[in-house]
Amino acid sequence: MLCKRLIMVLFSLFMLVAAESVSVAGEPTEHVRKTTDRIIAIVMDPGLKEADKAREKSRQIRSVVDERFDWEEMSKRTLARYWKDRTENEKEEFIDLFGRLLERTYLDKVEGYSGEKVLYVDEKVEGKYAIVSVRIVTRQETEIQVDYRLQNKKNEWLVYDISIEGVSLVNNYRKQFSSIMTRSSYKDLIEKLRSKVEGEN
Amino acid sequence: MGTTVRFFVCLAFLLISFSIPSVIGEADAASDSIASGSAFLVTETEAHELIRLAYSEFQEAQASPLGDDSRTASSKKEDPQEDAVDADPWEDEAEAIDSVPDPLEPMNRAFFVFNDKMYFWVLKPVGTGYSMVVPEFGRVCIRNFFTNLIMPIRAISCLLQGKFEGFGIELVRCVVNTTAGFLGFQDVARQGLGFEIQDEDLGQAFAFYGIGPGFYLNLPFLGPSTLRDTAGWVGELYLNPLDYMVDDFWPNVGFRTFDILNKTSLRIGEYEALKKAALDPYVAMRDAYHQYRLNQIEK
Repeated sequence: MLCKRLIMVLFSLFMLVAAESVSVAGEPTEHVRKTTDRIIAIVMDPGLKEADKAREKSRQIRSVVDERFDWEEMSKRTLARYWKDRTENEKEEFIDLFGRLLERTYLDKVEGYSGEKVLYVDEKVEGKYAIVSVRIVTRQETEIQVDYRLQNKKNEWLVYDISIEGVSLVNNYRKQFSSIMTRSSYKDLIEKLRSKVEGEN
Repeated sequence: MGTTVRFFVCLAFLLISFSIPSVIGEADAASDSIASGSAFLVTETEAHELIRLAYSEFQEAQASPLGDDSRTASSKKEDPQEDAVDADPWEDEAEAIDSVPDPLEPMNRAFFVFNDKMYFWVLKPVGTGYSMVVPEFGRVCIRNFFTNLIMPIRAISCLLQGKFEGFGIELVRCVVNTTAGFLGFQDVARQGLGFEIQDEDLGQAFAFYGIGPGFYLNLPFLGPSTLRDTAGWVGELYLNPLDYMVDDFWPNVGFRTFDILNKTSLRIGEYEALKKAALDPYVAMRDAYHQYRLNQIEK
């Protein structure tokens, strides 16, 4: 009798554990993981290590990143209340420039990759939104907390924000943009953005 | 550094921090949060949830009269249709507490430029030279030593917030690392026992008692801070064993500078990356500090 009960308890415990591990590896996590693994594979590819392959390497990373990152959503969220005043052309121009700035920032980060471990620790899904929590363990064994925020659009989970140690990229740019907009104008903002993207490439 | 001077500076800062809510006329928000601060006796998580709520209320109440950014934001926010995007379910967690007031922006910007020059002209070249002489392993050990040394700051900050487990972990960490870890040069408590360092300081402890950040400060040499966190920094001068072991001013500053130089040598490139990615590095830094601290306080 006691033995039977014990088995029941053990079994339900096992089920709980199993359920937990399933919930961690949901669909959004799988998408982030796939993208991350592909990028790591490109960065570590010995065929692309030489300096003259740098352009080819960043082109490949770019195409993988483009698939997963929703530049339009990011642009909308960073321009926030200034977004709806933009014409279609302005919107397109902004998405292009801002996307390129983010890509470059992201590329700089990724290219410094040297075998850091990526752990997938948590996933929250609520309707069409999800947060995938990741820990990056550096060589000095410090853990960096990274959260990807995703939105489901046409059955595709797309990243619209990344926060590192609680600092959200979108929020940070939104503050900068609104500070520039209140001080000067949208034209000035675009000029600053353009010189950032084109100036230091 | 005279102990009495330190005491009065600390006291003055605390008084200023406490008086801010009453100056603005939001005294009830502050008393609310202090009441929930006494929720020590409740469970840790409950106390934290309470304090987080109180803190965000306090922040909201505080942000509008002082911050010029948020003033325009709140006047625009009356019409919810203005924003182009629909809120995600986690919107209130981070975005509700929008930004830290910055009434001293001209002064802060001046010090930002000063620190920027200090970094590129002094700290970075010296740090790069230093890292060529001392290998990374050695620098990590030195960093561990200084980290272990300031255990009292973390332990007391844990205790003040009712994080008794964290307090215990810090004590054990210090005993293990000081003995088996050769005066703290090795972090064996984490590697061997899995006892993670508790990322707590007095600024976070003050936030736990509902003290808002006050306003943003960018201090020469010390970098981004707030009124509350600066008060915390001053208070930490009492908890830092270095200040008791090396009481003379210049040797003390010497050790602190060495600590900063050593830490910087392990993080060269981070500030450059922030600057490269930002359209307005000052605003980027201010917001990053604000978000980073909120994240630390929530934990």
